[in-house]
Amino acid sequence: MGEVPSAPARTKAFVAFGFCAVIALAWVLAAGRVPAYILPAPAEIGQAALKFFGSARQMAHLGATLAHIGISIAIAFALGVLLALAAHYANWSAATIHQRLSPFLNAFSGIGWTLLAVIWFGVSSATVVFSISVVLLPFAIVNLREGLLALDRELIEMGASFGRGRWRSFAAIVVPALLPFAAATLRIMFGVAWKVALTAELFGGSRGLGYMINIARQDYDTATIFTVILFIICAVYLADRSVFAPLERHTSRHFGRTGAK
Amino acid sequence: MIRLRRSAGLWLADGLVLAVVVVWALGAQRLPEFVLPGPLAVARRLFALFSDPEFLYHTAASTCRVLLSVVLALVIGSGLALLQRAVPALDWVIRGGVQPFLNSFPSIGWAILAAIWFTPGHGSIVFVQVAILIPFCLINVGEGLRQIDREALEMAASFTRRRSRIAFLVGLPLLMPYLLGALRISYGVAWKISLVAELLGSTSGLGYLMLRAQGSADMTTVIAACFAIVALFVAGERLLLDPLARRFAPR
Repeated sequence: MGEVPSAPARTKAFVAFGFCAVIALAWVLAAGRVPAYILPAPAEIGQAALKFFGSARQMAHLGATLAHIGISIAIAFALGVLLALAAHYANWSAATIHQRLSPFLNAFSGIGWTLLAVIWFGVSSATVVFSISVVLLPFAIVNLREGLLALDRELIEMGASFGRGRWRSFAAIVVPALLPFAAATLRIMFGVAWKVALTAELFGGSRGLGYMINIARQDYDTATIFTVILFIICAVYLADRSVFAPLERHTSRHFGRTGAK
Repeated sequence: MIRLRRSAGLWLADGLVLAVVVVWALGAQRLPEFVLPGPLAVARRLFALFSDPEFLYHTAASTCRVLLSVVLALVIGSGLALLQRAVPALDWVIRGGVQPFLNSFPSIGWAILAAIWFTPGHGSIVFVQVAILIPFCLINVGEGLRQIDREALEMAASFTRRRSRIAFLVGLPLLMPYLLGALRISYGVAWKISLVAELLGSTSGLGYLMLRAQGSADMTTVIAACFAIVALFVAGERLLLDPLARRFAPR
């Protein structure tokens, strides 16, 4: 985390503790004054959380959301790799991909995709996966393009002088050089996917956390909504810190050009 | 030679776009209109979105709210970033607590909470959009403040004692690329993601229009609204952000 030379560790911990205490106090005080459906007290959210993690049905919703996100990231990543490589190696397709397809996808509204997909595929997991993948795709294309542009030409020339096999030089030189960019792409996609997934599930899904909070909203079950939101915040933050950030650091240290020093 | 090749690629790109439109038109003839309307019908509706008073109201409502939200998010995000720099003890709280919290908060969560907390209206929609956009501004401006050349500020301090002069003549120009970056990202996110605010408890805007049209199987309006968003997004980039970026480009 950030180094703040002027604030020693004890002050930092004190300030952080004080900040959390103030927030918690304000929450408890505010929750006491308004009805529970507007702002549930922390204890009620604790109860809702216990119910949430104890119920097989809720866990199935959580599993559905994770599956939606995982499949969408896989599809968007694979398509992004294909398109970025096509633009890089087949010169004639570069303008189509980078100047027409990618800006168009980049400007298209995520909600628009969801609403269109509902009509085309019905209310289903296909709709959710389609909406998330198509929102993620431009991120993959743009990021992997950066990686391909950053390829070291001299390294490739050197590879060509050692062996003739284009596939061998691709696997031994290009793929490792792309890994740091692939890791960064996955990290960005993971963050964006969570932002889009719930919306897609709420309007186009019959399963998942988005579907669940829609039901909770109709029942004025605000405690469940808070539970889901807080759970997502923790899950996204922890996954980013413990999986994606180390992955990015690892790949750029082992395969990146700057990290090799 | 290179220029010739590039323009050939562009010709091909535009040819493919044209081919897609033709395939769309042919496909639309075979499919019912509520599945896929023809390009001509969509183009007419798209035109209506910018000319017919009833549609124009929704387009204008979305545009005004997006612009307002982006400005507010930039002001609040920069304020938090400045606070983080001015009070070192808060740096840890904001960077390790507030920023990841806001950044991981699902956008639909804000929309649902706002629908519960506030009476529906322009205010609640702007609240949701600002809440979604703040982390993007905070991250960018915070990064800019960290990158500011301290020596330039020290040099400025040796010329004048008025801190406001230093801030405006040295700090602000150095920060400008990051402010523009924040503006660009949040403008894009505002159109693409934060329109979700208009889907719950709203009676105006392109998001509401799309949802209502989808409910009545009016596919033409859904697609036209999507294209209107693409058009507004591109127009904002070309007419607002690009000129600003050129004006304040680092020299």
